[in-house]
Amino acid sequence: MPGGDFHPLFFAIVAAWILVAGIGVVTSRSVVRAAVSMVACFLGVAFAFALMNSALLAIIQILIYVGAISVVIIFGIMLTETQGGPTSKFFNRQAIFVAPIAVAAAILIAVVLLSSDLLDAGEKALNPGLRGTARLLFNEYVFPFELVSLVLLAAMIGAIVLARKDEDR
Amino acid sequence: MEAVVALIPLLPLAGFIVTLVLGKWYLRGRADVLPVLMSTASWVLSMYVFVEVLRHPHEAFEWDAFTWIASGALDTTWGFYVDPLAAVMLLVVSTIGMLVHYYSIGYMKGDEGYYRFFAYLNLFMFAMFILVMANNYLLMFLAWEGVGLCSYLLIGFWFRKKSASQAGKKAFLVNRVGDFGFTLGMLLMFLTFGSVQFTQVFPQAGAAAPAALLGICLLLFMGAVGKSAQFPLHVWLPDAMEGPTPVSALIHAATMVNAGVYMVARSFPLYVDSQTAMYVVMGLGTFTAIYAALIALTQNDIKRVIAYSTVSSLGFMFMALGSGAWVAGIFYLLAHGFFKGLLFLGAGSVMHAMSGEQDMRNMGGLRKRLPITYWTMMVAALAMVGIFPFAGFWAKDEIIGYQFANGYYAVWIVGIITAFITGVYMFRLMFMTFHGRSRASDEVRAHIHESPRIMTVPLILLAIPAALVGVVAGWPPESGWIHTFMESVFLHLESEEFGVTAFFLLLVSLAVGVAGIVVAWYLYLRRPEVPGRLATRFPWAYRASFNKFYMDEVYERVVIRPLIATAAWLWRFVDVRVIDGAVNGVAWLWGRLGRALRPLQTGRAQSYALAVLVGVVVLIVVLRIF
Amino acid sequence: MNPVEWYFLLAALLFCIGAFGVLARRNLIIIVMSLELMLNAVNIALVAAANFIPAAAGKGTLFVLFVITIAAAEVTVGLAIIIANYRRRRSVHADRYDEMKG
Repeated sequence: MPGGDFHPLFFAIVAAWILVAGIGVVTSRSVVRAAVSMVACFLGVAFAFALMNSALLAIIQILIYVGAISVVIIFGIMLTETQGGPTSKFFNRQAIFVAPIAVAAAILIAVVLLSSDLLDAGEKALNPGLRGTARLLFNEYVFPFELVSLVLLAAMIGAIVLARKDEDR
Repeated sequence: MEAVVALIPLLPLAGFIVTLVLGKWYLRGRADVLPVLMSTASWVLSMYVFVEVLRHPHEAFEWDAFTWIASGALDTTWGFYVDPLAAVMLLVVSTIGMLVHYYSIGYMKGDEGYYRFFAYLNLFMFAMFILVMANNYLLMFLAWEGVGLCSYLLIGFWFRKKSASQAGKKAFLVNRVGDFGFTLGMLLMFLTFGSVQFTQVFPQAGAAAPAALLGICLLLFMGAVGKSAQFPLHVWLPDAMEGPTPVSALIHAATMVNAGVYMVARSFPLYVDSQTAMYVVMGLGTFTAIYAALIALTQNDIKRVIAYSTVSSLGFMFMALGSGAWVAGIFYLLAHGFFKGLLFLGAGSVMHAMSGEQDMRNMGGLRKRLPITYWTMMVAALAMVGIFPFAGFWAKDEIIGYQFANGYYAVWIVGIITAFITGVYMFRLMFMTFHGRSRASDEVRAHIHESPRIMTVPLILLAIPAALVGVVAGWPPESGWIHTFMESVFLHLESEEFGVTAFFLLLVSLAVGVAGIVVAWYLYLRRPEVPGRLATRFPWAYRASFNKFYMDEVYERVVIRPLIATAAWLWRFVDVRVIDGAVNGVAWLWGRLGRALRPLQTGRAQSYALAVLVGVVVLIVVLRIF
Repeated sequence: MNPVEWYFLLAALLFCIGAFGVLARRNLIIIVMSLELMLNAVNIALVAAANFIPAAAGKGTLFVLFVITIAAAEVTVGLAIIIANYRRRRSVHADRYDEMKG
């Protein structure tokens, strides 16, 4: 396991980072601040992946999430900037009900996850490396792989059409 | 024989259907042809049947045409039972029915409902024939209702006149009360005997429990009280005079009202074993006879006098049946049909001549101008009062005499008094209408003319049996032709010998009738101012009689107003508050519920998503626990 | 406690934080961001499973790959929608989008 005996410590740091950043996204007044928190969170997740012996995914996470998705979101913020900056009342009316429900949900999921029988969970790192993943991707799972590329195509075209300015015919 | 018996009612039925369907547009003025033809054909066939029965008076002709209801224990058929009693009824119904059809050609001429009238007449003939020939109570009841329907249709024939349509309704409703009793009686009969067929019920009559038998007899009699207009269900008959006079003659004198008498006579085996029931029949009949006679004394409408006279005569018939003089009762029914029918048709002729006038106070002196009408009505009136040798004498006086001979002295006295009163009111009618000076207006007087032949010929034809049927059928008294003819129907009756007592009794009845005529002559011809003075001397008596002893008012107070009040209460409370309240309440409830739940639909996706999350949490909890 | 379980706990907490954000914030963009948080939480859980549970060894990784890809597509389309609606309504306030009210 990466980090060897210090694995638990590293895990604790990374976990704290992720959670704090997440709370930052959800509770910040300003959209921009939320965006920054989100990027931090993504970085933390990348580290978590790395900690789990999945370097490939860590890189991909940074490339796509931090590099692409965050940029798209920031573009979105830019294009929909409303006047007047951070406003009060950024939680809506039902927030009071959401909080306890969310907490309850968290507890429940944790309980369920922790009390279920995890098949042969061991301590060894089992993630295959780049080679193993590539082998899987292009042999058994080549069909979903191609389908996903279709989905991406459709999404691109859809986004372009949706965001187009109404032109005069 | 089967074919003949079946055709007798079927021909008028066909006449009814064709005339009703085609009458309005195609037949119009010719609408009388087919119905009259049908009634004549039925008469011919009825005469044939009558002759057949004459030849075999001790065997009844029975024929089950087809099964009507076969359900569980109930098995009734459309069947016929023709014995001497049915044959006599056939004679009366077919003869008078046919003559009324011919008479109506003249009387109803020009009426806009011409085709309807004849169609209904034929329908009535159909129902009446079925009634008298049915071989079970259920079929008889069906026909019973059928004649009631025709009565309603024909009483309210001039339906645009409010009083006429109301009279029709009154007849139907009062009849219904009686029919209720009839139905209960049939139910009880079915429970007791397991059948309603004559041939199955009558043999078992002796073995039935007395209480059950009494119940059956009384309930059936209730139906007869309604149909035959006995007290207290008599109130519809005077109002029924709103209908055209031929209707009054046929239905309310000669045929339909006799259905009750026929039914009781037919149920002879049941009544004979229940002495109490017979006392009830006799008592009610006697009371009705004198009650109606007293009312007839003061009425001014010519048709009303005859109507109350009919009620009184029917009372006499029940008096006869109830006291055990079965044959005498049927004999009187036979004679009565002829002379009462004749009286009505004659009255119709008078009204026709007087341009529709019905009030006798505006008549008078018609004797010279309407000779045929006058003489035929005189025959009928004499028969009615029971004067020798006309029909009524033999039958009626036999009934009265029988009471005395069997120890019913009180009944005998009432009968004698009633016979006296009958003489008075009957000849009051004759004298006021035909004698003396004419009290009509000049305009009416100018139009007075004898009726056309199509109307007077039936009058003459009816006068013959009204005069002679008594002698032909009833001589010698107590053992005449009719007595032997009916032997098989009314079994185990002793025919009494005609002795000195009987002869003396006949004389008394005759004397009483003559006395009545004399009194009428004195009061209305000799000293016409006397009735007025008597009325002022005894106002309460006069008013009681004139107002029919306030029977209608009693009904109004006791029955109608409480019913209407109850209905109003039910409407206000049950219908408006409870039922409408419940229905509207449910609607209101859902509305409130909807309005209460509406805030859930916020239109915002986040609310819905929250709901999803809550649902997931709940689901997990539930799955976890179980 | 197994390391798997730590990661799972982390994933659960992050997921619920994200859920709170989706349900409780008014700004549409922040809602989208919270949605991404939720997706990331799922990814963590999947990778943890792939790492520690033999039966899910290679497949977990692949699954995450696909999730990331689709998440990217989804963000794109989602923001395109927001921008298109912003043009009409001049607002990214979630409360304003309630035409289906009642």
